[in-house]
Amino acid sequence: MKHTLLKLEPLIWLLFGQGIMIGTMLLTAWVLVVGLAVPLGIVPADALSFERAHMLGSNIIGRVVLLGLIVLPMWKGVHHMRHLFIDFGTGRDELIAPLLYLVALAGSLLGLIAVIRL
Amino acid sequence: MSPSTPGRTRTAPPRLPDKFPFEGRYRAYTLFDATGILYLMLGLLVLGSVWALGSGEAAWNHVQATYRSATYVIFHLIAIVAVVFVGVRFFSFFPKAQPPRIGPAKPPPEPVLLGMLYVAWIGVAGVLSIILAGGIF
Amino acid sequence: MSDGQQKKTIVVTRFDPDQDEAPREQSYEIPVQPGWKVLDALNFIKDEVDATLSHRWSCRMAVCGSCGMMVDGEPRLTCKDSLDQYGDTVRIAPLSNFPVIRDLVIETDGFMEKLSDVKPWIIRAKEKAVEEGPVRQSPAELEEFKQFSMCINCMLCYSACPVVANEPEFLGPAAIALGHRYSIDSRDEGAAERNEIFLGEGTVFSCSFANECSEVCPKHVDPAAAVNQAKFNAAIHWATRLVLPPPTKGDE
Repeated sequence: MKHTLLKLEPLIWLLFGQGIMIGTMLLTAWVLVVGLAVPLGIVPADALSFERAHMLGSNIIGRVVLLGLIVLPMWKGVHHMRHLFIDFGTGRDELIAPLLYLVALAGSLLGLIAVIRL
Repeated sequence: MSPSTPGRTRTAPPRLPDKFPFEGRYRAYTLFDATGILYLMLGLLVLGSVWALGSGEAAWNHVQATYRSATYVIFHLIAIVAVVFVGVRFFSFFPKAQPPRIGPAKPPPEPVLLGMLYVAWIGVAGVLSIILAGGIF
Repeated sequence: MSDGQQKKTIVVTRFDPDQDEAPREQSYEIPVQPGWKVLDALNFIKDEVDATLSHRWSCRMAVCGSCGMMVDGEPRLTCKDSLDQYGDTVRIAPLSNFPVIRDLVIETDGFMEKLSDVKPWIIRAKEKAVEEGPVRQSPAELEEFKQFSMCINCMLCYSACPVVANEPEFLGPAAIALGHRYSIDSRDEGAAERNEIFLGEGTVFSCSFANECSEVCPKHVDPAAAVNQAKFNAAIHWATRLVLPPPTKGDE
């Protein structure tokens, strides 16, 4: 398992790096508008009515952006959580790391299905 | 940092750095790693929202109603602080993490690269925010 | 000693492997002179107060890297820091993240092994014959790696690194910076070999970019920059190897 993790580290790092960079850029907009401005009434709720949201999301660019919003934060998230476990000396990285990365992988696959079924 | 073969005398075991993990500069580092928890939660929330969007109007409206609850508003307030913190810290480190050359190409000078990153951040976030908020399309 | 002599209390971590179960603290109240460095206080204790104190030091001018210790919880070169930048009580302990042989003397063998693991020398595919003259390098090419060649192996970066604390195989800041220094040297042709090392057991990807190594480095080497540049190069190497087979020896 340790050997497999070593072999996959560069790929995980690349995903994690993009998770921070592009993920942060995309999340800024999502959290500001979908998470705060619309729920607080700063932006009218019909900006995210079902018809409009579905129209935006089912566009090819919309699907790619939504996929990015799901996948990229997850890989950044689990990679940093793995570092937290290591830093706090919990040990068992050979157990924790594959578990965390499997969560991100499962989430990424579900994300792909989610944007396809829009 | 123990050697592969033990030395001749008994040694005291290594100690962790005194201020690790919550004091001094380590605090910002530990917080930075801890934002991983928020990012995973955000990814899962977006996944749930997109799934709901694909499930029909009732599911989507339910998600929108959930986002209006105090818990989710507070969560997203904490999340936006975390996202900005991650961006600022990561972008401050990004220029020095570029190799001096990639093949024949040299990266731009550090201040230029930093400027480009912030322009990209504001641009991407700005355009997406305007789209989501109904400004265009 | 006049009555107006300034005094400080130096609290030193002591450890005698023949007598002590675990490290303990011992306080020394000593007179201090203006202009003293922290090392001067330790040398005064050893020379005038307690000859059993053991600590490493040499050049007294921050180039040999011998005198690294934890001073008030931070890894510092004791010959570089003025004593008066600290308060009336100064705590001195051996560098963190290293086994302790005695008092303030740490076991450095693990670090020395990692330094040699990264092949810190110019690797040429084929040595140039002496008659052909030197391998030339422009000032601009020198600038690309010069910063990373300034390391004095003081190990403050290892002491500060949170990953070194928990991942013993991690190559660590100084070793990776040293290997990277050679890989980006225009005279070197061994980047691929070192990238394989950087992708191995001591993987560069263990680094979590705490940047503590660069914060504590007394020579402004910025090892965090080197490690993260090395990650990028190692990742490109890894991706290339996925597609292309490794060259057989003699091909390059």
